Amino acid sequence: MTRYRWLLRAYPRAYRSARGEELVGVLLDAAPAGRPIRVAANLVRHGLRARLGRPASRSVVTWAALTAVICGLFSAAAATRLAWETARPMPDRAETVALLAEVAPEHSFTDIQVAPALFTFYSQKVTRGDLPMILFPDGGEYEQGAGTANAYGAPPMPVTEAVTRAEERLRDSGWRVYPRLADGYESCTGKYCTDMVTITTVSVEARRGDTILGVTTTDPLIEPGWPYLTVTLRRATPPAALPAGVAGGLLGAALAWLLFGWASRRSEGRDGPTICLGVTLLLWWGPTALALPAMVSHHRGEPHPSWHPFWEWLAQPALSFLAVAGALSALLGLGLAMRRPGDTLRYASPGRALRG
Amino acid sequence: MREPTFLILTALADGPRHGYGILQEVETVSKGQVRLLPGTLYTALDRLAAEGLVAHERDERVDGRLRRYYRLTPDGLAALDAEAARLHQLATAARARLRAYRPATG
Repeated sequence: MTRYRWLLRAYPRAYRSARGEELVGVLLDAAPAGRPIRVAANLVRHGLRARLGRPASRSVVTWAALTAVICGLFSAAAATRLAWETARPMPDRAETVALLAEVAPEHSFTDIQVAPALFTFYSQKVTRGDLPMILFPDGGEYEQGAGTANAYGAPPMPVTEAVTRAEERLRDSGWRVYPRLADGYESCTGKYCTDMVTITTVSVEARRGDTILGVTTTDPLIEPGWPYLTVTLRRATPPAALPAGVAGGLLGAALAWLLFGWASRRSEGRDGPTICLGVTLLLWWGPTALALPAMVSHHRGEPHPSWHPFWEWLAQPALSFLAVAGALSALLGLGLAMRRPGDTLRYASPGRALRG
Repeated sequence: MREPTFLILTALADGPRHGYGILQEVETVSKGQVRLLPGTLYTALDRLAAEGLVAHERDERVDGRLRRYYRLTPDGLAALDAEAARLHQLATAARARLRAYRPATG
């Protein structure tokens, strides 16, 4: 009996008060031999359904699932950001210089910029004062920090040879080298921009441990201030990010299901909370539904030594103003749901006639 | 109408039953093909009550255990009757085609 009473905790408290004894009686009468796991799973599943209220509704489960999934995704993103705090700091100047000597000793790097943090806003360390701008409208400028080193002037060798030598040195030094990417675009030259030229950039990335190194060449150089070779350094996603994301996602989804159920039971028959929920899901799912497949396509289209941070897969914080607006709508809906306390269960139990 | 719902309404058609009695009757009516679990039963009862097809009848206490009886409402009886007629019509059509296809075994 204790086991059944423990499993009945999947049901909301009011339901347990009204039906618990009856349910336990049926469970004891019907106790099937050798199927305790199936019975337990059945109780938990239907208890979670009972938490949503609205027993006659077939769509409430869908709405609850959409809410739980999107909240789980956002929770996972927040958890992975916390996990990033376990990553090593960005390479300092000494480490950067050592890596440049290891990878491209023939080149003279006169412009070395060390990234101020793992994540930057407009390439600067993030401060509290940046938060309003990150929320709107410059969320897209919050990105992974990257140290850079540029080589200017006449290259000591053809740029394609520079990339090939860099790849060889990287492999010899224990880096995993990913396939090259070549890109080209048209630009004009001359005093009156009359001559067209195709500018080619060749990039190669490599990873060793938690460090990702990129080498990019540009040819031809049509502006004197352009570097012919750029080396970038950034940190890979720390191992803690995956378990943190999974745990955070599951916890967020579970809490969202419980909160949705609480609001659903309290607000049956009222439009206000339902409208707020619809607005929230639109503002949260809209950007996510566009960003997720785009990110999948992007990752499949070019090699990635480390995936983009998970929140970027949800278009955050680039579209964080929509997420904030959705959160405000959700809070309004929860507030409206709170306005009418009391038992709104519509179950056929004694003393509680069906409410119309 | 889903099969478990139809079977629950069928189990109540000849009089009020308590939860365990409904489970037993469903298994009997389906000749052992369908064995409802308690969680499934009570979700269905809640839905049927919300739709006005079943209602609470009375409580009894037997050997210290609470037995809560449910009954079909007039709307529940009508819904069961309509669904039974629909399934009968479909089964009759299927049988007729089977006899036409395999007259020796019809």
